[in-house]
Amino acid sequence: MAKILMKGNEAIAEAALKAGATNYFCYPITPQTEVAEYLSRRMPEVGGVFLQGESELAVANMLFGASSTGKRVFTTSSSPGISLMQEAISYMAGAQLPVVIVNIMRGGPGLGGILPAQSDYFQATKAGGHGDYRVLVLAPSTIQEAVDLMMLAFHLADKYRNPVMMIGDGMIGQMMEPVEFPEKYKEPPLPPKTWAATGAKGRKPIIIKSLYLDPNLLEDNAWTLHDKYEQMKKEEVRFERYKVSAKNRILLVAYGTMARICQTAIDELEKKRISVGLFRPISLFPFPEKQIYQEAGKKNIGDVLVIEMSMAQMYEDVDRAVRGQKQVSFFGRTGGIVPSPEDVVEQIEKLIDKRKPKAKKKKA
Amino acid sequence: MDRSDKTIFARPEALTDTITHYCPGCTHGIIHRLVAEALDSLGVREKALGVAPVGCSVLAYNYFNCDFLEAPHGRAPALATGFKRLRPDMIVFTYQGDGDLASIGMSEIIHSANRGEKFTTIFVNNAVYGMTGGQMAPTTLAGQITTTCPMGRNVEQTGQPIRMVELLSSLVTPAYLERVAVHTPRHILQAKRAITKAFKYQSEGRCFTLIEVLSTCPTNWGKTPEESVKWLEESLMSYYPLGCKKDPEKPELNDGTV
Amino acid sequence: MLPGESVLTFQPPSITKGIVIIVGGYGSGKSEVAVNLARHLATDGPPENRPITIADLDIVNPYFRSREATERLQQLGIQAIHPRGGSRYADLPIILPDIKAGIINRNGTVILDVGGDDAGARVLSSLADAFVPGEYELAIVLNANRPFTANVDGCLKTMSEIEGSSRLKFTGLISNTHLLEDTSEETVLSGLVLAREVSDRTGLPVLFLSASAEVLSRIEPKEIDVPVLPLTRMLLKPWETND
Ligand SMILES: Cc1ncc(C[n+]2csc(CCOP(=O)(O)OP(=O)(O)O)c2C)c(N)n1
Ligand code: SF4
Repeated sequence: MAKILMKGNEAIAEAALKAGATNYFCYPITPQTEVAEYLSRRMPEVGGVFLQGESELAVANMLFGASSTGKRVFTTSSSPGISLMQEAISYMAGAQLPVVIVNIMRGGPGLGGILPAQSDYFQATKAGGHGDYRVLVLAPSTIQEAVDLMMLAFHLADKYRNPVMMIGDGMIGQMMEPVEFPEKYKEPPLPPKTWAATGAKGRKPIIIKSLYLDPNLLEDNAWTLHDKYEQMKKEEVRFERYKVSAKNRILLVAYGTMARICQTAIDELEKKRISVGLFRPISLFPFPEKQIYQEAGKKNIGDVLVIEMSMAQMYEDVDRAVRGQKQVSFFGRTGGIVPSPEDVVEQIEKLIDKRKPKAKKKKA
Repeated sequence: MDRSDKTIFARPEALTDTITHYCPGCTHGIIHRLVAEALDSLGVREKALGVAPVGCSVLAYNYFNCDFLEAPHGRAPALATGFKRLRPDMIVFTYQGDGDLASIGMSEIIHSANRGEKFTTIFVNNAVYGMTGGQMAPTTLAGQITTTCPMGRNVEQTGQPIRMVELLSSLVTPAYLERVAVHTPRHILQAKRAITKAFKYQSEGRCFTLIEVLSTCPTNWGKTPEESVKWLEESLMSYYPLGCKKDPEKPELNDGTV
Repeated sequence: MLPGESVLTFQPPSITKGIVIIVGGYGSGKSEVAVNLARHLATDGPPENRPITIADLDIVNPYFRSREATERLQQLGIQAIHPRGGSRYADLPIILPDIKAGIINRNGTVILDVGGDDAGARVLSSLADAFVPGEYELAIVLNANRPFTANVDGCLKTMSEIEGSSRLKFTGLISNTHLLEDTSEETVLSGLVLAREVSDRTGLPVLFLSASAEVLSRIEPKEIDVPVLPLTRMLLKPWETND
């Protein structure tokens, strides 16, 4: 198919349809309402379900019910709405239900603002609700990648029978980029959904639940979930490197929109003969811990710098991954302020200045 | 405007001297003014607390000259409950749109009303989500076009619009429930009387009071201010009849004690 | 030939109406066209078009609105009307009274930048009584690489939806077919073919073609028989630089 120009939110909606997810529940909130508006037109065309619920609280629980049918279901929202969904996400993780949730993040906490931010990193990656569970988290940095990951998200949700979240700052939802959709979405085969509630005809009733009053059974369930997360760590770590080489003096770590800004900064620095590489996690859970450990451990790397549109959230995971091999510093802006490539260049030059031999400074 | 005009339309003390952000022809501004005049007439501005919703009136705290809280979307009645329970001496009101009150906040409003919380709710019904750009609200009329029902509201799938005053009037506890409009001077006078009465009842320690105000949204209705007034009169008012559904002074309307 | 040199040989757009309403769906590039038209009229256009005012009437897009170019436009002496202070960043559908006043008491040229398709154009309907037929230009920005305006029927459908929700009639077309950074000469020229077909079907003129100055430098002026507005991108993504 030829490239077309799409707004991130529309592309995400269309990608879901391509992946066979024709069941969508929503509640309007900026900056992702275009997904709902787009699907309110498209769903009748494809014979799917479109329902605007009374709240995100209800929407997330509608997903619980809808997913129990075994069909592909999803929702999209933005930060305050995603907070309201956390209860149901915990229940769906506990009941092992596949569901895809997109968070087009805006600045918080509270009502915050409507401009782009990455401030829901903790909420997404550390279990935003109660209990021992995780959701698989994907973070695109281009609209094409948002399309690809959105389709993948449904596959992974089914593969692991677990909620999958795709998070992007508001830019990902609002910007326009050329994208290409596959003629037909191809995915590896999945096991039949024998867990779905389809009516107890000729079989024992199926109960989809997260209640285990016997502590041994509840612990068993926690282990089942844990094993899935361990498998994700083995099979689903995704990342990309940009201009990573033995010449790098500094390793940047950034995701989503922030990573693209870092790329521009890296190109600028190259002109000044300062070599910097970028490590971009694509899966935020599972986090590319080992890979970051290895990259940061390389002899040529003096410093690791984490850059976010939030207040040192991913920084904690990077710092843990580096395990003290190098100094890990942080730079970020938030509240809807997006650092410019010049800001990033300035931070890197500062780091390099710090490492300059002190003697030179004395002379001057 | 000459001087004499100015004195007739003096700004109520309970409003700040700020130009509002509301669109031309939007009646949110008139409703603000009526609430402020009610607070002034009862002399309670200095012990008033407003709770702002999430909706076009999210910035109401910039326009009212009294203390304010800003609630999460739909939760204003819960904040008001918590506050008023600890400060029964203060005059507390929530100011909420139809998405805020009748959709996401349905549970909070019903339970606050049913517990007989002693605050006043000003419920602004414009049949659409204004702030987020014109999506369907629970109050959107059958067939009305919005951005999330581009073919018109299909009541087979989304039900009939909710009449909040009627719904709440089935509860025994609330004290005073009335629906008003503000699109003509005559309606404004009636609305002013109702809003003032609600605050008066609150200061007498009566149970929950709510005034539903039919309001215009020219921007999302896609109508000029004049056409909006006409549509409100012809369409909204025929589905949402004006009038009082509960009043402690009109026992014939009540099916229980207040 | 130096890049940019040939651009000068294209015929510039000529604006004869005092009010130019620019509408177009997501990705049509209408905000970029609106700010560039303002820039062109303020710097190179005939004196009778001036002063130039641009009003941001986009109530559907929370980001990438013409208001983001305010500072640069003001430097060129263009008046920019949009919500100020905290409201500048709000998703409140703020329609300033200045806008209606600007239309009615117009002086020079007022460019209205109206967001996204029929939903966005609804805002025009609330201002309908301020527009006098014959005194405004209502132009749709067409991009053949957008899903809903990829062919003539799609364009006609979109246009009739916008006319329905705005209650105004189109007076012209703007051919702005692009694929952002992937735009080639063929992209621009194939868009013109579509715009011409729409023009044939509707009888509306193609007011002008717009494209990045860089791509235009690679096109022979004789290949474009309509006026041309070269674009310098003013609404950039945070990682983009204008060089
Ligand atoms: C939890 C949450 N969900 C969604 C939103 C987005 N939102 C802001 S205002 C609004 C609806 C406002 O409509 P209404 O209450 O009818 O008031 P109006 O703007 O029409 O006055 C929505 C859905 C939000 N802020 N928080
Ligand atoms: S969008 Fe509607 S409710 Fe909001 S200020 Fe404008 S007219 Fe009023």
